[in-house]
Amino acid sequence: MSPRSTTPRDFVYLDNAATSLPKAVGVADAVRAALLRAGNPGRSAHVLSIRSARDLFAARERLAGFFGSADSSRFVFTENATTALNIAIKGILRPGDHVVTTSVEHNSVMRPLRRMEEGGCRITVVPAGRDGVVDAKAVLSAIRKDTRLVAVVHASNVSGAIQPVGEIVRGARRLGAFTLVDAAQTAGGLPIHLGDLPADMLAAPGHKGLLGPQGTGFLYVREGVPLAPLIEGGTGSRSEEDHQPDFYPDALESGTQNSVGLAGLAVSLSWLLRKGADNIRKKEMGLIAELIEGMERIRGVTVFGPKDTAKCVSVLSFLVEGMDPAETGRRLEKGFGILVRAGLHCSPNSHRTLGTFPEGTVRLSPGPFTTRKEIALLLRALRKISASRR
Amino acid sequence: MSRPSSEEMVLIFRGTHQVMSAEKHLKKGGVAMRLIPVPRRLTSDCGLAIRIPAGLQAKARKVLSAVKLLPKSAHRLLNQGEYETVPF
Repeated sequence: MSPRSTTPRDFVYLDNAATSLPKAVGVADAVRAALLRAGNPGRSAHVLSIRSARDLFAARERLAGFFGSADSSRFVFTENATTALNIAIKGILRPGDHVVTTSVEHNSVMRPLRRMEEGGCRITVVPAGRDGVVDAKAVLSAIRKDTRLVAVVHASNVSGAIQPVGEIVRGARRLGAFTLVDAAQTAGGLPIHLGDLPADMLAAPGHKGLLGPQGTGFLYVREGVPLAPLIEGGTGSRSEEDHQPDFYPDALESGTQNSVGLAGLAVSLSWLLRKGADNIRKKEMGLIAELIEGMERIRGVTVFGPKDTAKCVSVLSFLVEGMDPAETGRRLEKGFGILVRAGLHCSPNSHRTLGTFPEGTVRLSPGPFTTRKEIALLLRALRKISASRR
Repeated sequence: MSRPSSEEMVLIFRGTHQVMSAEKHLKKGGVAMRLIPVPRRLTSDCGLAIRIPAGLQAKARKVLSAVKLLPKSAHRLLNQGEYETVPF
């Protein structure tokens, strides 16, 4: 997938799970253009306000198209996935409610849940296996009469393991619990159709697999889900009333929106709609397969997670025997210009599950613009680093 | 701001997203329309309203009903800038 638009030429960027680089073609130009002419969307009726409102509408419509929803008003813009997850968790739970979640969640789920626990909620954390995959039946059997919410990550940001969210979501709905899917590592790189995946809420960032600017994200809320807003304020609608509007997206979207970033997201979504998530997945999984095959041949390198491209997204964790992951990351950058992420990746429980706590792992995350040549470079670099420690 | 004539109708929606969505569907459905600032006599909302020729009301209703996007209210301009709220 070409052309490469914005990656600094001197680096091999393998940290797309943190934020994608380069962005989709045209995103940077759209952001610049919007910055030079952005009025406040939905507040005024002059031409620049309308242009910004149109940018928001385009981004929302494309989100609905990309995720297979007929109603774009249910896609609420947020600054990232973390904000979206906080809105979902703190908006649906009441004191005394029970929540089921898993041991492979990111801190953006666990920390708001622990906060709610302090306020009287109860949490059951279902452990995943050593391969980083949680058993759907174990999650469903943890649901009780008072379970209000089942919160589950779509794919681990540490091992890349895809969780059985379809089975969990459908089962939880049958048992009367609301469902929240954290799609931070899957939106864009793994096809998601909200008709097939009937989640009540789905959160994702705009700047990872969706290839848009940082500062963008969304929460999808299915109609009928009783979500109280986390933030209230000006919406440009029902201005005569003291109370927050109850209709979407205004109910959950107070204050001036990031119309500049969202103008970029609208462009990246357009690119994604043209390319298709299936094609992006095919490309990325080809690279992951080469990585797994190559890394398993390097003495002293241990790969964690499913090691099966049918069961993971474009995220792979590894360790070089006897070497601190931060040191491996440093050597990759300083010696070879390869940018990766090392550490716990804000997901300590995932590492406890994989047996890599507290040191963490080195994480590789190719994106749609990563090339086979870059993967070969990484493998050569790893061979050298691994050999140097003996 | 250009005022609608008595032959024109102003449609008020709940929020900006609904206005944008109505615009998309009306244009797709071949209904001539314009975005206008919400007349202050009608609502204190900050944003936009849609103006259509009154003669296209039935067509607009058909288009907007099909997508469950009926306006919050509809108004016709009377003399001296007064509006009459009318059923849509």
